[in-house]
Amino acid sequence: MQVVETRQLCRSYGSRRGITDINLTISPGEIFGFLGPNGAGKSTTIRVLMGLLRAGSGVAQIFGRDCWSEGTEIRREVGYVAGDVRLYPWLTTRRALAMLSRIHGRSLNQKGFELAERFRLEPELPVRKMSRGNRQKVALVLALAHEPKLVILDEPTSGLDPLMQDTLMSCLREMAVSGRTVMFSSHTLSEVESLCDRIAIVRNGRIVEDSTVSRLKAQAPRQIVVTLHDGQDHRNLKWPESVVVKSVPNSSSQQIIAESTSGLGVNREQICMLELVGSSVSFMSWAAAQGFADIMIGPPSLDVLFRKYYETSTEAA
Amino acid sequence: MLGLLQKIWMEVRWPVLWLSLGLCAIMGLLTALLPKVLGNIHQMFDKMPMVKPLLTALLGVDPGDQVSAQLSQAFLWVHPTVLTLLWAHEVMYCSRMPAGEVDRGTADFLLCLPVSRWSVFCSETIGWLVSGLMILSLGYVGHLVASQFVQPGMRLSMLHTLMVMANLVAVYLAVGSFAFLISAFSDRRGRAIGVVFTVLLASFLLNFLAQFQDWAKSISPWLSVMEYYRPAIIIQTGVFPWGDVGVLLASSAVLWLASGMVFRTRSICTV
Repeated sequence: MQVVETRQLCRSYGSRRGITDINLTISPGEIFGFLGPNGAGKSTTIRVLMGLLRAGSGVAQIFGRDCWSEGTEIRREVGYVAGDVRLYPWLTTRRALAMLSRIHGRSLNQKGFELAERFRLEPELPVRKMSRGNRQKVALVLALAHEPKLVILDEPTSGLDPLMQDTLMSCLREMAVSGRTVMFSSHTLSEVESLCDRIAIVRNGRIVEDSTVSRLKAQAPRQIVVTLHDGQDHRNLKWPESVVVKSVPNSSSQQIIAESTSGLGVNREQICMLELVGSSVSFMSWAAAQGFADIMIGPPSLDVLFRKYYETSTEAA
Repeated sequence: MLGLLQKIWMEVRWPVLWLSLGLCAIMGLLTALLPKVLGNIHQMFDKMPMVKPLLTALLGVDPGDQVSAQLSQAFLWVHPTVLTLLWAHEVMYCSRMPAGEVDRGTADFLLCLPVSRWSVFCSETIGWLVSGLMILSLGYVGHLVASQFVQPGMRLSMLHTLMVMANLVAVYLAVGSFAFLISAFSDRRGRAIGVVFTVLLASFLLNFLAQFQDWAKSISPWLSVMEYYRPAIIIQTGVFPWGDVGVLLASSAVLWLASGMVFRTRSICTV
């Protein structure tokens, strides 16, 4: 049984677009990244899953149960942090844990205080005196304290300092190792890339990509910098089809690069900036025959791939 | 549900305490002062003729040229300050959820706890009933204490007082249920409070206009809550107004159920 499953899920806000035909499946133990630019439909999907919004049509299930009609049972096993965390001003971590313990019918103090210590929270400090980051940490502690089988986090790192971001990532990895499932929404690719097994990208309310990180990396372009020999003319080169030429000597962008790298002593070299899609092996064998002065190949950049989706989204808007 | 009640207690304890003490003090003061003030009411009627219709509208009966001791005690229970305090409490309380929770953004936290929306609604209702009873009880205590300092002939019997209070509780239930319903439809607390306040004010004015205008008199039973709250008649006749209380209770039950249904089935939108 899938932990999360949606089929043809749609939800609109009157005449405004929400989400359209969202199909998702998340398996047990998976860390699932849900990516997309602002307003793409991530939070709407999550709010339907949490039973806050009623789906216009389609199916939304968690643990095989309907998210709207069986929300109470589902939420016993789910921890959730909203995108814009708002808590009661009088709430302290201690009071919140006492309240949650009563609601869950068992003491959550041990795990809760352990998490509070890990996130360096003062148990007696009320929310009204907390910074945004600390409020975010309280929300995370409350979402994780009952050791849920599924954690749904809507942009959870906003407001957290890098150390606390690392702590959160460690917590989530530990959860996944113990067989729990994480659904992690973000518009920052690097954190999703470092954490998730699988990524779905949502754009204009639709899923445009749903793949494993390794498969996406295989699709992602690599930056290549080719340095030509003196006298070697790039116009005589026949670039392979897997390569997109971004800039060649004497083009304005190349000039900028050459100037910016003058400190490294390469300003007099002739540099070609390329983007490689797919395997680098065939390119390397072709390049070896060309007698270039130097070749630098960067790692696959999901960032470039993701930007492509962002830019298309912006153009569409 | 205990966890939810704990949350409600944390949020409303101070306002409820202050309102309770306020009503206690006001009821005490009015009990002690009204017989003296209203004893010379005929002079005021002569100087300001508009006072009499206002008093008639509030009491629901024509006080004549003199206000009897018992009628002056009835005026205590319809005094605008008393009603304002009580209604202010319920308008503020009943608009907290869901309108207030959505407005301040805490609805996500509350409604993603493993509790059903009905549990949330019922615990809010318990808080509303308990806080209302606490405020009314302390008001009654203020009245009771001050009664010891007025002449025995001007005191209201315990039975009459309890009958008036039962009618007032029915009004409290009807107004609160209406406020819950408006809140259930709304995402903005200020808007919900504005609507309920406007309706209450209109209801009050309609009750006043009904003394002079036939058209207002004909629609007042449908639209004015004060039409079903007549302490003066209870005190004069000694008969419990089963009909009025029945209408108020039936209305509040319908409104409360409708509020719960709307809240249970509505989406919580923040975008």
